[in-house]
Amino acid sequence: MSNAVDYKRRATRLLRWYPTAWNERYGDEFVDHLEQEFAERPVDLKRTLNIACRGLVARVGDFGLTSSDLKFEGESRATIGTSFTLVAIASVLTLNFWSLSVGRWSSRRFHPLPDTIATGILTVTAGLLLLVLMAIVLAVAVSSARQIRRKRARPLVGPSLLAVGSGAFILYAARWLPMELVQYTHSPHGRPGIQWSHPGRTIAALAQSTWDLTQTWVSLWTQRMYGVPTSQIIVNDLLPIALLVLGIAIAVLLRRVELPLIGERVGSAVVALLGVLLGTFLVAFFVWFTVGGPSGSTVFVTEGASAGKAYLIFLVLVAVLVGRSGVRLARRNHLLGRLSISDSSGYVA
Amino acid sequence: MTSSEDTLIGLGRNAGAAVLVLSSLAGGDKHGYALVKDVEQFASVHIPPGTLYQLLARLESRGLITALEADNRRRPYRLTAQGASVLADYFTAQQRILKTGQARLKQSWHLA
Repeated sequence: MSNAVDYKRRATRLLRWYPTAWNERYGDEFVDHLEQEFAERPVDLKRTLNIACRGLVARVGDFGLTSSDLKFEGESRATIGTSFTLVAIASVLTLNFWSLSVGRWSSRRFHPLPDTIATGILTVTAGLLLLVLMAIVLAVAVSSARQIRRKRARPLVGPSLLAVGSGAFILYAARWLPMELVQYTHSPHGRPGIQWSHPGRTIAALAQSTWDLTQTWVSLWTQRMYGVPTSQIIVNDLLPIALLVLGIAIAVLLRRVELPLIGERVGSAVVALLGVLLGTFLVAFFVWFTVGGPSGSTVFVTEGASAGKAYLIFLVLVAVLVGRSGVRLARRNHLLGRLSISDSSGYVA
Repeated sequence: MTSSEDTLIGLGRNAGAAVLVLSSLAGGDKHGYALVKDVEQFASVHIPPGTLYQLLARLESRGLITALEADNRRRPYRLTAQGASVLADYFTAQQRILKTGQARLKQSWHLA
């Protein structure tokens, strides 16, 4: 193999550290540059490490949550997609924490006002968070179906299969949930059923089901289960992975699907809203923890105190990162809007 | 601190390398490899390729340099008027620090 061919092959291989958008913009000149460097110094470990590190930094920028050096097409979709995945994972924790707070509140005889207000805010924010996430999934599903009908399905095939597969797995793992909910609605076995005159009881029953559902997901591979069939234990252990795959698949779909113009416009507001809702939930959770919650050693009793602290840190990070991304995206869109207005009118602001 | 200095300081620990790249382009348009060689010649500093292209992207996004039409696979870069102004402001500030430091060394230590 000639040196030139070998240099080109090595340079192209190093380019894999960088994201696609970066390769499209700088790939050719970068490979040319490296070929000249290889001719001068064929082996240089520091150079390889430098390329790998900077490539990874570029990849982090490609997720759309940090201010990227490269203003690539679809940056706002990348931000929305990554924000969705992070908030979807966070929502499992918020639902679990919410069910914990409601369970605690309903088991008390007397309810101090701060406890009631904090639990109420937790209920509203967790519900809104879930609604926004479901709206995003619905928008992606409808847009994907339209795109498939227009015979432009090729880029959607992979992520769609992953989303459907992981979604089906999650539904299978939670197949007992409808039966549990039926117990509350049809009042067999002495359960009260839905009493619309006392919605608090219904909410408490829903919280109990939510806790039963999310606790397996939250207690990552740490829960001892006695009397549970091995097949069910395997399914439970694979659940967190299935959730992650579903989140990533939806994020990839969000980057590839042809969204209507309104979807592009409201994207920044949706990301900011997700950040604000998560931030409000966290503030309310800390208030609840102070005024109405259990002591520190018993709040995360199943998953362990260290895991509980790690979850709270994760939630804070996601809230800050997503909220900040929403504001950055809104500023960018505002600037682009002003530029397009000045372009169309021929007037430079 | 002027806004020009802010622009360079905003580049973090790459600010030093950014000054070298802008100084090199102040002498004329250059593509990546020619830029590295020029910096090596006048500053005895080697900018690794990963750092160089991250820097070029940042300087371009801040409007301090602009990419020209690629000649085959090599794309030359040009210093913009804004980039020249930022570089000039930076040097003025550095010269002020240099003169003050030198004068104090001379006064107290009879050096420089």
